[in-house]
Amino acid sequence: MAVINVNGISKSFGKTQAVNDVSFEVQKGRIFGLLGPNGAGKTTTIRMINYILTPDTGSILINGLEASPETQKMIGYMPEERGLYKKMKVFDQLMYLTQLKGMNSHDAKKAINYWLDRFDATDWKKKEISELSKGMSQKIQFIATIAHDPDIYIFDEPFSGLDPINSETLKEIIIELRDNGKTILFSTHRMEQVEQMCDDICLFNNGKAVLSGNLREIKASFGENTINLEFDGDGSFLDKLENVRINNRSTNFAEIRVLDDQNMQDILKLAMDHAEIHKFERIQPSLTDIFISTVGEDNIKKEEIQ
Amino acid sequence: MSLHKIWLVLKREYLTRVKSKSFIIITALTPLAFVAFMGIIVFISISETEVEKRIGILDETDVLVERLVELNETRYFDVSDREIEELRDEVMAGELDGYIVLSDSVIEHSKSPTLVHGGSGGLSFLSAVRSDLREAVREERLTRQNVSDEIRDIFDTRTGLEAIKLTEEGESEDNTVFASALGFVLGLLIFFGIFFYGALLMRSVIEEKTNRVLEVIASSVKPIELMFGKLFGVLSIALTQFGIWILFYTGLSIAAAPIAAMIVDAQMDSLPEEAASEAFDPAMLDNLVIEPAIFIYFLLFFFLGFLIYSALFAAIGAAVDNEQDTQQFMPIVGLPIFIAYFLNTKVMQAPDSSLSIFVSIFPLTSPINMISRIASTSVPAWQIIVSILLMILTFFGIMWLAARIYRVGILMYGKKPSFKDLAKWIRQ
Repeated sequence: MAVINVNGISKSFGKTQAVNDVSFEVQKGRIFGLLGPNGAGKTTTIRMINYILTPDTGSILINGLEASPETQKMIGYMPEERGLYKKMKVFDQLMYLTQLKGMNSHDAKKAINYWLDRFDATDWKKKEISELSKGMSQKIQFIATIAHDPDIYIFDEPFSGLDPINSETLKEIIIELRDNGKTILFSTHRMEQVEQMCDDICLFNNGKAVLSGNLREIKASFGENTINLEFDGDGSFLDKLENVRINNRSTNFAEIRVLDDQNMQDILKLAMDHAEIHKFERIQPSLTDIFISTVGEDNIKKEEIQ
Repeated sequence: MSLHKIWLVLKREYLTRVKSKSFIIITALTPLAFVAFMGIIVFISISETEVEKRIGILDETDVLVERLVELNETRYFDVSDREIEELRDEVMAGELDGYIVLSDSVIEHSKSPTLVHGGSGGLSFLSAVRSDLREAVREERLTRQNVSDEIRDIFDTRTGLEAIKLTEEGESEDNTVFASALGFVLGLLIFFGIFFYGALLMRSVIEEKTNRVLEVIASSVKPIELMFGKLFGVLSIALTQFGIWILFYTGLSIAAAPIAAMIVDAQMDSLPEEAASEAFDPAMLDNLVIEPAIFIYFLLFFFLGFLIYSALFAAIGAAVDNEQDTQQFMPIVGLPIFIAYFLNTKVMQAPDSSLSIFVSIFPLTSPINMISRIASTSVPAWQIIVSILLMILTFFGIMWLAARIYRVGILMYGKKPSFKDLAKWIRQ
């Protein structure tokens, strides 16, 4: 059953079309990744799912209900632009945010105490956010997002600005939530994070959803058309290769995407003539490469997806 | 709209402020500052403000100098036996404040004499000398004409004016001066109140943007609910503060007469009896008891004025990222409210003029100008009703505009919007 159902939504701001006829479904109990460069329309889409913005056309169903204040309660949302009241005590703040999500004060208190305990943060209860370190307040921010025990969790660029420890913590929380049958949607412009965590993905470019589905199936459908090559010696032979795209290149490493059906053994032979080969491996393409293949090399600025 | 969410927002806004140190300090200090201010005014009004100056009189008439010395023996003294050059030197050296040469023609032909002085007298000093001279010359001329005592009495008559106000309940003692002053002060309080609490609301909106907490809130509450909650939260703070102050004032006005009498008693010992009784009459303080109806009007007009202006303040807060960027939009709020403030003096002087009636009904100025009129004159009921209705309509109009700006503005970061952008947001 689809928990989030996005049906042909579009949204313009003045003359800019931020989201253009986007559709996708998020299934229950899965981690769904929204991918694409900055400015592709991910945040606008997420805001519409959260009923902060409304689409010009199209519809969004959350658990079968049209997006509304009612569906807002089903979602825990951590925006990219996130923060807390600096001059408010941790506990009061969490109570306020959790009650705004429709939880009564008794349940809210219990849930907050549970999570504060889980994060070893019970001692901070009476402290103001301004007294906490950045890492500590990030933990409080997680609690604010999840304390009202929603079915759906939406994180917009969750790892940007997180310190490495909290990044790990968040990954663990996301996986744990999924294992408890919750649904998670997050957006990122960093492809490798998606590869590690997501079950399903939707690729965004210029306001359009260009590709969506199960991550493993998508990758499999591209076949093992990529070579991971490790070598020692002069790498200039790589420039002689035709009909390939070299995605990742350093002095002794290259990820070579083969664009036609040419024999990969020929590439190996050429390589052996010029350098000492340490590793030659046929693999599925990376998500970055799938993204480039899907939208076409000319349609993206490469630095945006790194 | 969910009333429960508005209530949650209101409660947070109210409690976090009321518990803050700055709230307690401001609430306690404002009346103290007010009392200190009143105390200074009372003190000034009963204490001698003039520095005594010494004027030499070079009298060629032989009669005027006696009369002047009789009028004020510390100020005037006889220098008729000295040379003008000598007096000039003394004035230049600062040993003498000034001198006047009086010739017969001053009495006979009403010629104006000349005061030669060091130039540090001030207007009240000059007019005091002038009136002393007038009196001395008049007395001398009356004496020369052998005028009878009856006619002298006519000249001494000072006709006053007692005013009595006719109201439904009958005649009451008129207190126009106090009523006008009260009207002005109440208008002033509303002016400051709107500015102070409006700015508080604006900062509170901006704070949510700079803390980046706003989008989290926006995923739980509608912008209009957030706005109503914050607006009424700040309003509750204002009413709490005003409530405390009004209680304080009521207590003070009961205690005022005895306290002021004490101050006056202490001062009287150092003053000539006559001057003291003229300067201050403790019974005057009975007039300082304010009718409760005026407080109710005050709260009502503050309430409506606050709603109108704070909706504007909130919209400005929503449109910008930081307080510096509010500058370009401040004239929208500042201009009408300052006009109301400046016109308030006119309203006080002539509360029934057509200008006063207009500004007391025009919704952007009426919160300030109507309360001044209500306090100082009897305003026809229809004018009060029309002004209240217009303010309510204006509030909903501005609220509608502000909510549209707010809805878009709360998600805008980083760029400073122009008026054109705002117009676009409203249409969106």
